[in-house]
Amino acid sequence: MKTIARRAALVAFAFAAALAAGVAGAAAPKGKLTLYTSQPEHDASMTIAAFRKAYPDVEVEFFRSGTTEVMGKLAAEFAAGAPKADVLLLADAATMETLKKDGRLLAYPGANVTGIDAGTYDAGHTYFGSKLVTTGIVVNTAAKSRPTSWADLDKAEYKGQIAMPSPLYSGAAAIMLGTMTERHDLGWPFFEKLKANNAVAVRGNGAVLTTVASGEKPYGILVDFMAFNAKAKGSPVDFIFPKEGNPAVTEPVAILKTTQNPDAARAFVDFILSDDGQKLAASMGYIPARQSVGMPSWYPAGVKIHVMPSNIPKIVETNTGNLKRFSEIFGK
Amino acid sequence: MANAPGVRGRFEDYALLWLLTAVIAVLSAVPLARLVLEAVRPGGVFSLDAIRRVLESATTWSATGHSLVVAVGGTLLAVTIGGLVALAVTLTDIRARNAFVFVFVMPLLLAPQVVALAWIQMFGPSSALLKMLGIAPPLGTPNPLYSPGGIVLVLGVQYSPLVFLTLRAGLRALPQELIEAALAGGARPRTVVRSIVVPLMTPPLLAGVALCFVSCLGNFGIPALLGIPGNYLVLPTLIYQRLAGLGPDALSQVAVLSVLIGLIAMVGIVVQDAMLARRDFRTTTAAVEARAFELKRWRPFVEGALWTLSFLTLMLPLVALVTMSLVPALGVPLTAKTATLDSYRFVLFMHAASHRAFVNSFSMAAVAAVMIVVIAVPLAYFLVWRRSRLLHAVSLVTEAPYALPGVVVGIAAILLFLKPLPIVGITLYNTIWIILFCYVARFLALGLRPVVSGYHQLDRTLEEAAQIAGARLFRRLATVILPLVAPAAAAGALLIFLTAFNELTVSALLWSTGAETLGVVFFSFQQGGDTNYASALGVLTICVSVLLMLSTILLVGRLPRGVLPWRD
Repeated sequence: MKTIARRAALVAFAFAAALAAGVAGAAAPKGKLTLYTSQPEHDASMTIAAFRKAYPDVEVEFFRSGTTEVMGKLAAEFAAGAPKADVLLLADAATMETLKKDGRLLAYPGANVTGIDAGTYDAGHTYFGSKLVTTGIVVNTAAKSRPTSWADLDKAEYKGQIAMPSPLYSGAAAIMLGTMTERHDLGWPFFEKLKANNAVAVRGNGAVLTTVASGEKPYGILVDFMAFNAKAKGSPVDFIFPKEGNPAVTEPVAILKTTQNPDAARAFVDFILSDDGQKLAASMGYIPARQSVGMPSWYPAGVKIHVMPSNIPKIVETNTGNLKRFSEIFGK
Repeated sequence: MANAPGVRGRFEDYALLWLLTAVIAVLSAVPLARLVLEAVRPGGVFSLDAIRRVLESATTWSATGHSLVVAVGGTLLAVTIGGLVALAVTLTDIRARNAFVFVFVMPLLLAPQVVALAWIQMFGPSSALLKMLGIAPPLGTPNPLYSPGGIVLVLGVQYSPLVFLTLRAGLRALPQELIEAALAGGARPRTVVRSIVVPLMTPPLLAGVALCFVSCLGNFGIPALLGIPGNYLVLPTLIYQRLAGLGPDALSQVAVLSVLIGLIAMVGIVVQDAMLARRDFRTTTAAVEARAFELKRWRPFVEGALWTLSFLTLMLPLVALVTMSLVPALGVPLTAKTATLDSYRFVLFMHAASHRAFVNSFSMAAVAAVMIVVIAVPLAYFLVWRRSRLLHAVSLVTEAPYALPGVVVGIAAILLFLKPLPIVGITLYNTIWIILFCYVARFLALGLRPVVSGYHQLDRTLEEAAQIAGARLFRRLATVILPLVAPAAAAGALLIFLTAFNELTVSALLWSTGAETLGVVFFSFQQGGDTNYASALGVLTICVSVLLMLSTILLVGRLPRGVLPWRD
């Protein structure tokens, strides 16, 4: 018995040593890493460039589209048995929860979450919120009136004047849908009235910005950073925080279980959650998950943005039905 | 035959002929057969379910209806513009004809999706141009181009050179003596046009119409940019959306849709074929020129009208596109102060996928061009000098992937290469090779035509002399024939390069991470709302295309007449 115990201890020790060696090996990850993301092209490129500065031996390729469409591509790849992605940086936690439920995500217990709100990452350490992205109202500066609340958008003066992102493409829009339809003051009637007011669901947030900045529609529903970044570059747009609050997503980062390069994938998560990665996010106009690194320059000093609480487990359940009902209302 | 070749020589001939036949079968017949098979045997089991489901879906018929509307509308517009321009350019004594033809034909060789974006920039409430003129629509006006009318307009302009080229080739072949006799007999020019030109021109006109219809029907870039925002789907965009949204699960469905669009296209192809009776007016032209009608005092007006047309349909949209690529963000007016090269800096130096796309598109276009020339030179040898029933069939099969809409070839290739290849076990799906395969299959006909017309202009006695001297086929091809058809082959290669370099329809269906093309990156910029990056990338691809077209001026005099559409 004793020898067996000793042998077991030896094996355990050897295993631990191997593990330690593995961790030490992770200090210099290399090889190819494929990222699927919903970040805009520019931001994804900047993020990857900064990551490669920190980990020059890792080659990164990325695919970008709206979260819902990225998930469609992933589902097809899962079905074919060969997912190409190693890491995901997608809009929302509900999407990540769905992947986690299907056993697609690899836990990373060692991820650095100090100084990050526990509500923004998975307790099982499979995905980690990297930012706070809120959705509000964007207006063209030449527009006649200024809505101050979501409910305002139902008014006759905005008839045929509003563009919104489609939840069938954008993860942030899907969360907005799941969050608002659960509220008594908005609910499904809010979306039905938007449709009755001839609001159009374009593709993603980028398309909303294009539509509003070009003046095709003077009003839009849009994520904060896109509006502020465009405004900083001179686009004729303003961003409004509606009275009822802003639905928000956390843009989580996660590793797929099927990754071919776990070391590089963990390095990518490390970078996103590092102070440098968080500062980069802030410099690109995002509210970082670790807010102690500083806020984006547009952030109204001394003001706390009122975030609409989202029930993520509930949205995971209702999302498919929500998307179906939305597509019936908006005819897409 | 001057001298019967030896047994080995004859063996070499047959080996080469059968090798070429096999290559053509793999490139064209096998993928198309696989596509048709999928429609009736989805997933390998015989069933009409997929066909029934697709035919019962209302979306199928609305998209089919939309496709017919924009294809017919675009064709009518193209025929009007292309027809009038062909008459004016060919039959009258306008000046600066070469320059005008170059400019007028140019849209045909630019990427349709880039042209569509240029048009989008020209209209709409934020149009710098309309603002300058003080006629920009008020805030909240949707861009008028996001409509069936917009699609028809851009398709019509894009493909009017096709009608122009077929008609011009036909007009040049007009029997001059008939016209001269009529004029000498005192007929007025109008009567000559009505009673001689129009009847003789009907076959090439109908051929041009049919070709234009098939091109409008198969176009993806224009309805994708102008139709998707207003949810106005045509068959190619429906197929794209189904495949992008559902992945390979949707394959049986999209196979049926592809067969459907292929059948509609067949109508156009059959008409074209009957009218041209195997003679290709697009690339071969007779050298006899009818004497020009003297416009006299009307000449400045006709010239002015022609150049105004080019200015409105080409220069202005391009100026709008360049403007967009130079502003820092959408809605910012272009001034000396706001102008920035940031978008160019981004796509050239910071965006890895754009880099890869430049490399991918450039090398695939080049490799496809070279491979096609390697196939086309011996193939044309047999087609022109050794007619047989087999060769007639080969020639028809070669044309099919180019004549059919691009989505048909794309979906056929997915079906063929989704599973690992037998024996070697390599999977081509999700790699760059499947795109290259499609380019070679699809553009082979494009490269073959100039080479065929090159052979037609050769004196065969040279080759026969080499044969009598004992040179076998390979040797004759390499040392006698190749140098003689080289200019025509180079022209074909250039056409292939330009078309593949600007291609989107096939690669939108087949691309994967790491195997992006310029068209795909442009399209995803545009779809993601990054309009200024899309514009910058579009301007860069246009620059490459125009520079290549201009470079052909160096080849002047060494090319068979009419092989390059923009060279008069």
